[in-house]
Amino acid sequence: MISQTIFQKPGHKWLAFGQDPNKPEKLIDTNQIVITAGDSAIILDPGGIEIFPPMLAALTDEIPIENVKHLFMSHQDPDIGSSLPLWRQVCNENVNIHLSWLWTSFVAHFDAEANITPIPDEGMTIQLSSNVTLQFIPAHYLHSSGNFSVYDPEARILWTGDIGAAMLPTRQRDSFYVEDFNSHVQYMEGFHRRWLGSTRARDAWIGQVSKLDIDILTPQHGLFFKGDDVKRFLDWLARLNIGSGIDSMGGNNDS
Amino acid sequence: MSTEPDTAVTKTAVVNRSPLGRIQTDTNRLFSKCLFAFHSFGNLGELSENMRILSLNAELAAGRAGEKGNAVRALTQYTRELVARLNGVNRAMLNLKSVTYNQSASALRILHQLHLLNRALDDLRARKGQFATLALEKTAKSRADKLSSLLEDVQGMTQNVNKLSNEANEVSEVVSQAGSIATNIAIEASSAGNHEAEFDQVAQTMRGYVAQLHHMGDTAGSPIRDAGSVGANLQDLTRQNIKS
Repeated sequence: MISQTIFQKPGHKWLAFGQDPNKPEKLIDTNQIVITAGDSAIILDPGGIEIFPPMLAALTDEIPIENVKHLFMSHQDPDIGSSLPLWRQVCNENVNIHLSWLWTSFVAHFDAEANITPIPDEGMTIQLSSNVTLQFIPAHYLHSSGNFSVYDPEARILWTGDIGAAMLPTRQRDSFYVEDFNSHVQYMEGFHRRWLGSTRARDAWIGQVSKLDIDILTPQHGLFFKGDDVKRFLDWLARLNIGSGIDSMGGNNDS
Repeated sequence: MSTEPDTAVTKTAVVNRSPLGRIQTDTNRLFSKCLFAFHSFGNLGELSENMRILSLNAELAAGRAGEKGNAVRALTQYTRELVARLNGVNRAMLNLKSVTYNQSASALRILHQLHLLNRALDDLRARKGQFATLALEKTAKSRADKLSSLLEDVQGMTQNVNKLSNEANEVSEVVSQAGSIATNIAIEASSAGNHEAEFDQVAQTMRGYVAQLHHMGDTAGSPIRDAGSVGANLQDLTRQNIKS
């Protein structure tokens, strides 16, 4: 598994993990983010259980495992956090697990012993260190009905989970960043049309995050957007006709 | 004639000979044997109910036969006692089956996690990250804990097979007593005059139920013995892995 530092200041770092060349092809490729601040760290969407071994090994290149004080799950999907029971085995006993209140009893089906801190619908903030605060921003219905993005105002980076996801062919993954936005659209268009179902939710989320200063926008699948591509992505998403699954139900997709 | 569902397990055994692979194979075999043993008694509840109805009908026939039916009436009372025993056995078996299935599900879940923890240990050793030491310790400890949990599940499954064996013995006793009742009803039938055919029919039906019970016990015998042996080996194998 590849790791790359995408932001660094003294005592504060964003690390991206993913694009594992040894990953079985049938597993969807995922990005995992680790934010470190002082001797604390949080893993954003730690990933599916099958990628736990390479992810743990790659993490130990960068930080001691005891620094991981928080695990964040943007929503309930298995590629987001089915590795949870194994992470709890290797992290400190009192590691904080953050997940929408909506999903706590569902995630118990793959980790009944996890003690989860439920995130309320309106979101919350956590203090990673004395000078690094993270904001859990509501992103409900995009695509999960209990869903959150994570914003780091100090790093000016937004973790968006499945929003911004792209289904890239392996040969296109030679960097963590989008190089040509227009040619990248083809890899994310189908996903967003099908996975996102609510234009009201989409518009509300864009309304929130447009007020933030964002240098890098990091989705869980595919590539990251930086600089002007952040605005390009938000503008593209705002115009996209979503909810394509409704077509197969004989309805229209004016959700 | 039913056969044990062992084919897939055999294929797995050929493919995976690592220590964990052998544990996985034997756990699958143990579960398969338990499954087959419990399945052998799958119709016990229905058979018990049929026997109860037979005893009620026999009692009515005995009533119609007047004094010639006195002995048969007494035998129907014994039959209902056997039915009560069979119902007790059936409840115990259903309970054992439920517990065993839960333990099997837990064992299979743990085995999946053990495979991943083994891979994590391999990846950590291969990657030699600068902070790998503590992660290696914690992963190894987690692996040992998981193996201990697996051992508990395997011990539980093996104990349940022993308990199932006790219940199967209880069924054997019922078989023996029900056979005697059938014989005695047949004897009574021979001196029951006009009611001979009716009592004879009861005796024949009872013999059919005895044969079915006998078949259940016979079918379960081999998987119960095998499960005991597989369970014992599996416990040894798991203990060896905890030490390694």
